[in-house]
Amino acid sequence: MKVAVYWGCVIPTIQYGYEMSVRAVMPRLGVELVDLDNVSCCGTPVQSVNMPAAIYLAARNLAIAEKTGLTNLLLPCNGCYLSLSEAKHFLSYDEKLKEKVNTLLKEENLQYEGSIKIWHTLNLLHDLVKEEKIRETVRHPLNGLKLAVHYGCHILRPSTLQTVDAPENPRKMDNLIGWLGAKSMPYPEKLDCCGAMLLLSHPDAAFTFSGLKLKTVQDWGADALVVSCPSCQMMFDMRQKSVGATIGAKLSIPVLYYSQLLGIAMGIETEKLGLHLNRSPVDDLLRKTGLISTAASP
Amino acid sequence: MPIKARATIPISMSITDLTTTKKPDTALRLKIIAKIGEQKPYNCFQCIRCTSGCPSMKMLELKPHEIVNLARLGFIEELLTSGILWTCATCLKCKERCPQAVAPVDLIFALRNLAVEKEVKVPESFLLSLSAILENGFIQKPQNTVTRKLERVNREKLGLPKFREPDEKFKAAFFKVLEQSQEE
Repeated sequence: MKVAVYWGCVIPTIQYGYEMSVRAVMPRLGVELVDLDNVSCCGTPVQSVNMPAAIYLAARNLAIAEKTGLTNLLLPCNGCYLSLSEAKHFLSYDEKLKEKVNTLLKEENLQYEGSIKIWHTLNLLHDLVKEEKIRETVRHPLNGLKLAVHYGCHILRPSTLQTVDAPENPRKMDNLIGWLGAKSMPYPEKLDCCGAMLLLSHPDAAFTFSGLKLKTVQDWGADALVVSCPSCQMMFDMRQKSVGATIGAKLSIPVLYYSQLLGIAMGIETEKLGLHLNRSPVDDLLRKTGLISTAASP
Repeated sequence: MPIKARATIPISMSITDLTTTKKPDTALRLKIIAKIGEQKPYNCFQCIRCTSGCPSMKMLELKPHEIVNLARLGFIEELLTSGILWTCATCLKCKERCPQAVAPVDLIFALRNLAVEKEVKVPESFLLSLSAILENGFIQKPQNTVTRKLERVNREKLGLPKFREPDEKFKAAFFKVLEQSQEE
């Protein structure tokens, strides 16, 4: 199955671990990724500044994806998923807006139809690849692991759009973890926001959002926090030390992408999954899986 | 299906802000209503469900229900200059949970857009990301990073395919989009 993939800004410019792990696991599941040429930012960063420009950017990327003739488009980033599904929604009922956007897109010989179906990594794996295929590819079941999940706000809400999972009680990532043999730990702070979108205006508050969530996950005794959004990963993993300093807590909890976890269960080399790029102590988790007895401490 | 905002607004215009003796700004109010399109701020009955679930309420005292109320009363300038608009984390819980389909977060985005247009109190970094997109097509170019063992790596070293920026035609087209949206 061929699927077009749009990586956005954050993944291909800094969150390499996500890109590497998605590229590593998808072929094993029979998904061939087709990269898009000439794409740009998804529009999320300009929503606050200029909403029409954000919709244009989203529609432009969708138009490029449609040009491939493929029926499915994968958006591994939560921000991109919201921006593109929002634009799709507006353009589906507002003919005038669609006409305006298409006039602008003509400059580059593009046209937006609204024909391509969009997926996030989580629902692509859960609903398109499905349980049987995923269970088949597991070489090293992650039995005994107790993991906390963090979906990220922008793929769950608002339900006026086609969301990845149920807004108030998402289960797909929990199921996906279960299929690998691990256990998803229920915890009350599951839907709490990471605060990444506040970084530009109130970094201290953003760090506090993340810190409080990490602290509770750590206190509940999770072996790791599993995420699916590059912005959340930047907060929980890359900035874990600063986040801990902000709230005055010693944080030491492994944070990784679901695609990385899946790769571990598939038995893919950790370096191919970009796990050496995670700043949080993922070696602690790897040791618990019993897969890398030789893993050296950082 | 989207419901158009009402053209006539059934709220008394005799309100005056007692601390500044300012009257509500009808023109700006209509402008904001036009921007939020399918949402319906007049349906808000101040149940405060949005504010009780707002993560920024705990940290930065953002009260979405107050923003909705001030906006429909026409105190737009006050909202723009207060800086409160930039405390929203856009978690979208208010939009999800509102029993009246009001979507405070959409109103906040519309007000932010207006703040940019009128050049009042906009955190610089928001504007910088726009110029970065004009320049590179993305918010940034691929960055060098380090592994946990402090080894320097980049896309090439990690075996990732070459990063593709959009061509010059995109920049010209996007510039035109920005110009056009300013004229409106």
